[in-house]
Amino acid sequence: MAKIEKIRVTLRVNGEEYPLFIAPYLTLFEALREELHLTGAKESCGRGACGSCTVLLDGRPVRSCLLLAAEAEGREVTTIEGLGRQGALHPIQEAFVSHHAIQCGFCTPGMILTAKALLDRNPDPTEEEIRAALSGNICRCTGYKKIVEAVKAASAKTAPSGAIKTAPGSGE
Amino acid sequence: MRLPPFQYLLPGTVKEALDMLHAHKGKLCIAAGGTDVVNRLRQRLLTPSYVMSLKDLPELQGIKKRKNELLISAGTSLREIAEDPDVCALFGAVALSAGLVAAPPVRNIATLGGNILQETRCLFYDQSELVRKAALPCLKQGGKVCLAQKGATRCLSVYQGDLAPALIAFDAKAVLKKAGASRTVPVLALFSGKGKQPFTVEDDELLTRVAIPMPKGRYGASYEKLRMRKGLDYPFACAAAFVSLSAKGVIDRARLVVGAVGPAPVLVEEASAHLVGRTPADADCEAAAACAVKSAHAIDNLALPAAYRRKMVKVIARRAINGALSGAGA
Repeated sequence: MAKIEKIRVTLRVNGEEYPLFIAPYLTLFEALREELHLTGAKESCGRGACGSCTVLLDGRPVRSCLLLAAEAEGREVTTIEGLGRQGALHPIQEAFVSHHAIQCGFCTPGMILTAKALLDRNPDPTEEEIRAALSGNICRCTGYKKIVEAVKAASAKTAPSGAIKTAPGSGE
Repeated sequence: MRLPPFQYLLPGTVKEALDMLHAHKGKLCIAAGGTDVVNRLRQRLLTPSYVMSLKDLPELQGIKKRKNELLISAGTSLREIAEDPDVCALFGAVALSAGLVAAPPVRNIATLGGNILQETRCLFYDQSELVRKAALPCLKQGGKVCLAQKGATRCLSVYQGDLAPALIAFDAKAVLKKAGASRTVPVLALFSGKGKQPFTVEDDELLTRVAIPMPKGRYGASYEKLRMRKGLDYPFACAAAFVSLSAKGVIDRARLVVGAVGPAPVLVEEASAHLVGRTPADADCEAAAACAVKSAHAIDNLALPAAYRRKMVKVIARRAINGALSGAGA
């Protein structure tokens, strides 16, 4: 077979554009970690079953290990590094911390991003809706109860855009 | 694990895609959503020279309602199908089958075409190259032995797609295009029934859309899936049923389909004899469901035992028929 030529792919990740020159068989997961050094997405099963590599593509959760990097061109990718700001956690991250929804932490970025996608569309989900949304993310530590509680608590704090809810009449 | 090297093709039109399929026939693999193909690449079950993306082909996107049929383009995501108001209202069993595939992050990118044309699976075949090399090559790999059933002479790897059984219950048609030609076949005819080469689709053909005909009169349909957990699992057995009623309330059409119990979904033709011509109250759902068991060629090549899957075929077939009858307002 002829030599494989690298391809030019521009990824838009967390609001920034990154022109890349990469092997065509690189997955989005590999491009994020190795080219952009965004190591928040984790590899666990490596075959699309566990959800630890979850990122958001145009605001919806996807498995970055099952997606070629080139397939994400022209789409908005959000990784866990895109949530919160320097020194300030996103309300969902805060809820995970305060509800002890993290143990080893390997599934946490995927859980939080999946929860964000849910709360952006459904700011006040039922427990059943939370469990259904998270059904593709596996945690081998917590037993899920704390995670579901954290998402429920975060739902009370977040607005559809993911911004922190402000009190009525606060002028913001 | 890294994917094997391949060249990436990005056609801008369907015509370009068909030309690429023709030019690289046999050496090209299509990645629509990629959720099945990327794993198969990773396991070296596929080692194509080219992978062709369909992402820039808007013609392959979307759902259109026409007077006599509903058209679903092959690149439409399973999430869109599961949530589409027309699919939900008119073909709820199809929406349900799409909504039961894997988990939300997979459904967000997996497509109709990819789901229908997913390869058959087997515990002994869907393994890493390292594991596969530790045993003799099986029938599906071009070898002479079946690792799942001693002495078997034909591959009984399992077709585990969720949507095809529901589409077949509605007698949906698939449109296949290739450079300079197009053909429309029943979705059922996409399947060869052979585990080694499960599809009748040619290497240079592209599945572009599925057309579901609008049934006449009152009708109902249902889809049932046997799985161990609510998220992620492929079906270990599944059943889809469709019934329509005449103006007098008699069942005039019934289609029962079972899936994930052999290399292809099976239309259980004998089942309709126990349903058609009777009122829903007189329908012999038990006997119709029993017919499904004869179509189940389950062997021990998935994570649940074949004996259990065969028994459950009857149970889920009965549930699907009852669901269809109740959907028809019976």
